Parts: sequence; C-alpha cells; structure tokens
Amino acid sequence: MPSNEATSVPQLGPASGDYEPVVEVRGLTKRYGDHLAVDRLSFSLARGTITGFVGPNGAGKTTTMRLLLGLARPSAGEALVFGSPYRALERPASRVGAVLESSDFDLGRSGRNHLRCLARAMSIGDDRVDDLLELVGVADAANRPVRGYSLGMRQRLGLATALLGNPDLLVLDEPANGLDAAGVHWLRTSLRHLASNGKTVLVSSHLLAELSQTVDGVVIIDRGRLLAQRHIGELDGAPGALERYYLDLIAKEPT
Amino acid sequence: MIPQLRSELLKLRTTRGSLTLLASMVVLVVFIVLLHSFALSAATLRVAANQPKVFGWGTSIGALFAALLGALSVTAEIRSGTILPTALVTPNRSLLIAAKSAATALAGLLVGLLAEGLVAATASAAFAARGIPVEITTGGFAQMLAGGAVAASLWAVLGTGIGAIVRNQVGAVAGLCVWLLLIETLLIGQVPAFGKFMPGSTAGALAGMLQSADSSKLVAPAQGAALLFAYTAVAAGAGALATERRDLG
Repeated sequence: MPSNEATSVPQLGPASGDYEPVVEVRGLTKRYGDHLAVDRLSFSLARGTITGFVGPNGAGKTTTMRLLLGLARPSAGEALVFGSPYRALERPASRVGAVLESSDFDLGRSGRNHLRCLARAMSIGDDRVDDLLELVGVADAANRPVRGYSLGMRQRLGLATALLGNPDLLVLDEPANGLDAAGVHWLRTSLRHLASNGKTVLVSSHLLAELSQTVDGVVIIDRGRLLAQRHIGELDGAPGALERYYLDLIAKEPT
Repeated sequence: MIPQLRSELLKLRTTRGSLTLLASMVVLVVFIVLLHSFALSAATLRVAANQPKVFGWGTSIGALFAALLGALSVTAEIRSGTILPTALVTPNRSLLIAAKSAATALAGLLVGLLAEGLVAATASAAFAARGIPVEITTGGFAQMLAGGAVAASLWAVLGTGIGAIVRNQVGAVAGLCVWLLLIETLLIGQVPAFGKFMPGSTAGALAGMLQSADSSKLVAPAQGAALLFAYTAVAAGAGALATERRDLG
C-alpha cells in the first residue's frame, strides 16, 4: 500500500459512516514500459460533490480517468465506480457519463448523428438526443458536420454525449478548454446544477481560479502520485487560495 | 446485441467513408471489366473456360470492398477516437466486435450482390458489343450472384476481425488489398494445389468463378463455404480477443 502521507487526508463529503463512495481509487498503478503514468494513486469521491482533478501536464490525470472508465487496464490496484469496475457495470452509460477529449468525433458526421449512433446502442430515443442538443446549445448546428464546429461547440457536444444516459457520475477531462467566457459560465452553472441534483462530478482542469468557484474539493496529483485531496473549505477563502496552495505543493516536489 | 447492431448499422449508413468506398467500387468494377472485355482477344473470350477472366472479377472486388468496409468499421473509430464513447456505452468489447461483424455481414451481402450484378451487366453488354456469346448458364449466373454475395458477407466479417487486430487504418487497408489482389493471385496461379484453399480462392469457389483461375482449379462450393467460414470465425474471434485485451486510446 502507498506510504504517501497525503493518502491519509480525510475524505470529501459527508462524514457519516455508511455512505459508499461513488468513485474509489485504491493503489491504482499504470505502467507503460519504464514509465509510471499512475503510481499507487488512492482517492475517493462522495455522492453529490464536484471534485477538481488537477496537476501539471503529464501528471497522469487522463490516464487515471481512462483506467476509471475501463478503457485501459491497471497494472496494479483498482478503480471502482459505484463499487465495481466500470466494465462490470450493468448499462454503464446510464450510471457514468464521460468526455475524455474534445477530438473524439468523426469529423464527417453531424453532431446529431454522433449522438444518435450512441443513443441507439443505449436504447435511447432520438427525442432525448434533440433535447440534449437544445440543452447544450448546439441545436442550430446539429445537422452540420462536426468538422465545422469550434472547440467550444465540440466541448458542448461532448457534454451532451456524457449526459445521454442521464448518469449519476460525470467524468470530464478539461471540459472548459476552448470555451469562451459565456461558455465557462454556462459550464459552471451546469455542473453546479447537476451536483445539486445529487450528481457527482470529477473534472480535470488547469484553470484553478475558475475551478475554485465551481468545485467542492480538489484532488491534486503529480507524476502519477497523489499530493493532496482537500475540501475547498480547508483552504483560506482569499481569492487565489487554491492556486497558491497548488503552486506551493508542486514547488515542494523534488525534481 | 440488438441495440449495438442498430447503432452499428446507423454508423455504416451515415459514415461518409462507406459511401466513398461503394462509389469507388462501382467505378473500379466498370473500369476493370471493360478493360478486360476489350483488351483480351475475341478468340480467347469465345472459349467458355476463359470467360471467368472477365466475369470472375466481381467475386474478388466484392470480397475486397466488403473486407475494407469491415476493417474501416473498426479502424475508422480508432483513428477518429469515437471508439472511446463507443466503448463507454458498450464496454463488453466482444459484444461490440460481434455487433460490428453482424452489421458488416449484412452490408457485405449487399456489396457482393452489387459487385457481381455490375460485373454481369457490364461484361454481358461488352460481350454483346463485340459479338461474343456469353457461355455462362443461368445457373452459373445465379451461383455467381448468390455465392458472390455470401462470400463478400463472410469477407466483410473477416475484414472486421483484421481491422480489430491491426487497428491501424492504412495498415489494414493496404494489407487486405495486397493479400487479395496480389498474394492470392500469385498463390492460385503458381501453386494452385495450395492456393485454392486460401480465403480469396474459396470466395471464388462459392461464386463458381474467379478472374485469376480456371474454375476447375477451385474447390467445391460447399468446401469453399466451410473453409471461408472457418477463416472468418478465426479472424473475428482473434479480433474480439485482441480488443478485449488491449487498452483503448
């Protein structure tokens, strides 16, 4: 088990003894050849919370998300969602929604067609697709090829993809990337709204100031290892507190 | 598997690549058939045993394009990254490959029928224009259409398996083209005792004719069907296994 002292910090969310974490990562390790992308990482997320997932480029955030979603296999340890590995979930897309990269589209197909293909496999009707296109604000461009979408529109379409199955957990990799100011505001409002309805969100981002306005807590990693898991209330409330805390932590890391 | 199948069929119908592929096939079939119909001497073409040199192209081209359609159904998703949302919705990857195989098998049937029908029509017209009688019987044409369609359907699944194993789009496409058009032609031409058992030649056996071999060199249709089915099952099984075991993205 990891001896890293940071793993012993209190968990986020309600302290009652009987709650089951929505996400539980234990000793998670992923090795690519000689490179340790994720190194004995452990953290857990409580229901109804928004957690920021932060760390330098190459820290292992995307790899961790891929392991959590069953897209890659851990070298050691485990990543559980709702108590089991993703691939063991019954109808997983109605429990977990994810956006990993804004580029995961067939550029020749329309946004509506992209959603419909996935909706078919989930036995979800086309009216839900149209509702979501409306909800994320790409209804006007729905019949155009994704090739012509801006980065922000692709992020919106990605979020619609994640929401198709009305999941209880959202895993979002840098969803604010490429959004304009109105888009960032829209994303923040959407995430807060989802969390107030009991949804749990894990969201990676480099925009710490924005993140501190949105999240309940943060998981900070570097070189695949956990540096800290903190409730946002544990930091002093001054503007820029999260950024200062983060930069201090990273600076203490041996290079 | 029905929801996954419906999803895959929608993808096949609406992916621009599939339509481009079909259009290329139509152009290629007409070009090759006209080329051979007019380049070969009338004396050669009047011999019944030589007519598969023209009429047999539908089998190979149908099988090839069906296989490409199958391979692209996997490699295009890997290339574009849509394999990630697809795998999130259907994390059972064997089920995913099975659904892709079923969808491409259906599409392959149509591709094979189209290729054989186009060859039959174009070659018959070209022969008529040169005043050469077509020596293929009604039964021969029926086997060509039905057998060619079944062969292309199996080749579509074979291609899906190859795509899942190779994963790289250019590699899978180049490999299938080189195998079917070059290596199989050499094998059936140079070592027919061995070459006739290869998957491309068994497609010829199913359809009753192949452009690269005398029909007498091919195995019996039933044996060809059994062999091609076995190749297809192995490729699809290996493709499913490879997809199960490997990381995506």
